[in-house]
Amino acid sequence: MTSENPLAHSKHVFRAALLLLIVVATLILGRLFFVPETWGEYGFYRGAAVGEHRAKPVRFGGDEACEPCHDAEYAEHAVGVHAPVRCELCHGPVALHADLEEGEKLADMPIRRSRELCELCHRAQAARPTSFPQIDVREHLLENGGEVTPDACFDCHDPHSPY
Amino acid sequence: MKHHHSHRDQQSDGVSRREFLHRSSSALAGAVAIVLILPEGSAAGISGADYDWDRHTWVYVIDTTKCIGCGSCVRACRTENSVPEGMYRTWVERYEIPVTGEAFVDSPDGGEHGFDPVTSGMNVGKGFFVPKMCNHCRATPCTQVCPVGASFTTRDGVVLVDAEHCIGCGYCVQACPFGSRFINPTTHTADKCTWCYHRITKGLTTACVEICPVGARLLGNRDDPDDPVNEILATRRVQVLQPELLTRPQCFYLGLDMEVR
Repeated sequence: MTSENPLAHSKHVFRAALLLLIVVATLILGRLFFVPETWGEYGFYRGAAVGEHRAKPVRFGGDEACEPCHDAEYAEHAVGVHAPVRCELCHGPVALHADLEEGEKLADMPIRRSRELCELCHRAQAARPTSFPQIDVREHLLENGGEVTPDACFDCHDPHSPY
Repeated sequence: MKHHHSHRDQQSDGVSRREFLHRSSSALAGAVAIVLILPEGSAAGISGADYDWDRHTWVYVIDTTKCIGCGSCVRACRTENSVPEGMYRTWVERYEIPVTGEAFVDSPDGGEHGFDPVTSGMNVGKGFFVPKMCNHCRATPCTQVCPVGASFTTRDGVVLVDAEHCIGCGYCVQACPFGSRFINPTTHTADKCTWCYHRITKGLTTACVEICPVGARLLGNRDDPDDPVNEILATRRVQVLQPELLTRPQCFYLGLDMEVR
């Protein structure tokens, strides 16, 4: 028994080693195939996702974006009580109206001369801070001799600088 | 006896079955460990002349005493981020709490089209609006449950979703205690507030902060001592939503009532 060739049972070891090799190779190949290129760049996620988020388009440009073309309205608005109300709150985002980089107009800016627009902020509500100016439109019109029409507010108020 | 004999023989060959299995499993474990560790890099991150995420830690302050419930933030968020109709990355809740009795809470269309006055005739003792959004928690459960690593926190403290990698299983939607996530019906992937990551990394503020007419919303950088949010957090009494969950929210509320969850 002791004279037996030490390699007599070696094929068991080779089989196991081959199996191990196949498993490891499958793991490595599987990772190469399934794991995204920038995985783990910054942490346990795809690093490129950060750049993809950063690359999304900006649509709201702020009042400064409007000033170059609409300087008269900008100046009037900047000194009125509506100065903290951004142009884009009522008019919508500038990106739908102009390409700021090319300096090109894309479409007309919507102008909503509607009472409902004013009421979004100024309709009397129990939940609104009492210091904020708010009215019941019907009462307000009755008191001031106005008619309840869809654009009644604009008969007396300039939304760029009310009062 | 025969059995014992052959066992000794194997030992004399140098490797017993037990030892062989033990060694090969160690080798396999080692190989797997190497394969798993290999791609871990050490990149510098998002830093350059225009923006350095190691110099920013974003936080958000919401002043409920200023909010008028106009819903401009909800509309601005939708257009800025192409949020599908019926889904909300931010929304506004209205609370009307009578002197005695149950509180009334609603958020019609997330406050997107404003709020009609409540006409129940109840004697409102206190009323207020509470804008809500992702709290970008420091210890957030949403990224922990993601099975594929599609939800993560950036180095500057923003919780984002990798829509390319997300499988849309919805675990994170269920894990968020604030209801801040949803499955986008167009992409079928998880979607949420990004604090307008595309804006704040370009020197702009978020669309909701930009549009708020009363200054009820504010985003700021914790790492910049001159940023106004740091004075607020240092001198004012602030609260977070559901602090008992220990998720460490990074949206800080001023004037929060105990009725708000």
